[in-house]
Amino acid sequence: MQVEIHSINFFFTLKNDLAPTYAYKFGEEWVLWYAKSNNYSVVSLHFKALLDTYLESKDIEEFQQTLQLKSVASNLKQIGSALLQYLEHCNTVVSDANERHYDYNPANQKISRHYLISGKYIEVNFDSQLVEQLFHPALAYLEVTHKKHSADTQFDIYLENNDLCLFKNKALIKASYKKDYHFIQGKFIFEIINTIHDKKALDWLATFHGSTITNGVNAILLIGNSGKGKSTLSSLLASHGFYILADDVTPLGCDNQNLYYNPSAVSVKSGAFKVLKPYIQNLDDLATISFNTTKGALKYIPFPKPKDNQYPCSAIIMVNYAADSETELEKTDIKTVLEVLISESWLSPNPKHAKQLLDWLQSIALYQLHYSDTASVVDTISHLFKTLDHK
Amino acid sequence: MSKKTHTEKITRKDAIKKMGKYAALTAVGTFVILNPLKAQSTSPPDAGGNPFD
Repeated sequence: MQVEIHSINFFFTLKNDLAPTYAYKFGEEWVLWYAKSNNYSVVSLHFKALLDTYLESKDIEEFQQTLQLKSVASNLKQIGSALLQYLEHCNTVVSDANERHYDYNPANQKISRHYLISGKYIEVNFDSQLVEQLFHPALAYLEVTHKKHSADTQFDIYLENNDLCLFKNKALIKASYKKDYHFIQGKFIFEIINTIHDKKALDWLATFHGSTITNGVNAILLIGNSGKGKSTLSSLLASHGFYILADDVTPLGCDNQNLYYNPSAVSVKSGAFKVLKPYIQNLDDLATISFNTTKGALKYIPFPKPKDNQYPCSAIIMVNYAADSETELEKTDIKTVLEVLISESWLSPNPKHAKQLLDWLQSIALYQLHYSDTASVVDTISHLFKTLDHK
Repeated sequence: MSKKTHTEKITRKDAIKKMGKYAALTAVGTFVILNPLKAQSTSPPDAGGNPFD
């Protein structure tokens, strides 16, 4: 038994410094944040009790005593080992090992576009139509044909050795393997957002993968896995008196925890054209983008900008479009929301920001929505906005 | 000891009391670990929808 105890105590000597930095209770669950890795973890009440006991116990005897377990050494070993594994996993840092470096090359400027966005002149140069079609359509409605003497910000986007490179004012911002172009799109729109709001990368708590709508008072963030109807729903709502604050990438500011305006037009897939056609008069006239022949087309729909650049968020809705489903809006739990939200969002690793984000999350109502019928979903969201405005 | 910490400890004691041996073994599996993206991104392309394929 002495040898057994010694081997179990091994699990108690390694746990120092692995404890979560922050722990927040949301209903029947805890959300833990680990500073070393910027990982979040959602755990049950029982798990949290077990983890805290483990972290505070100096050895196996104390752990066993607190848990009031009779000497079942194999169980204790199993629990101790599982908790240590969990903590190690939570603290594992996944490095962005694919950082690439390229020098700026003006010879790649083959196509130039100029945009006027929230009073800022922005020049974007591309090396080819293939690259241009990944970036230009979302901003095409903001293009200006007259070239201003000098742009406020200049971007260059081109391919180099199968890597897609993004330069801002001739300095490399990011380069990624070309098939991971969504990271360059994300960085590009993030830099556009920084430019128009006069912010820096450090001024944001997060960029969420989701669309945000506003009624001019409050904002609601719509999240969901790809193809669940976020952009379709925000387009439907924008055709019924609401405004789209951001589509696909929604930034959360750290100064006041408001969601900010993203000027990208709303990208909708061909599957949604039929649903949207009755409400968007010029849908057929909008350019259709086809990335390749095996996949359906995309359209980018521009909507009027809301009056302000930022709004407080009162609710997050996890959207689930399913043909013929009844409209149903119900409260949901933090685990359901974070499982979808975190893995597709960038969240600042700064400990102060992580705390602000968790504080912010505690003030937000969380819902799950099933819908297919336009009239009833518009009614449901209007009603929710009215309820949130009165809070 | 702060009031908050004291309350948390009572809650934890209750949770442990209710848990028992077998529930403790089950409870060690009731977690998810979520890794945020390291950089900003737009929606990733659908399978077969990558223009560089």
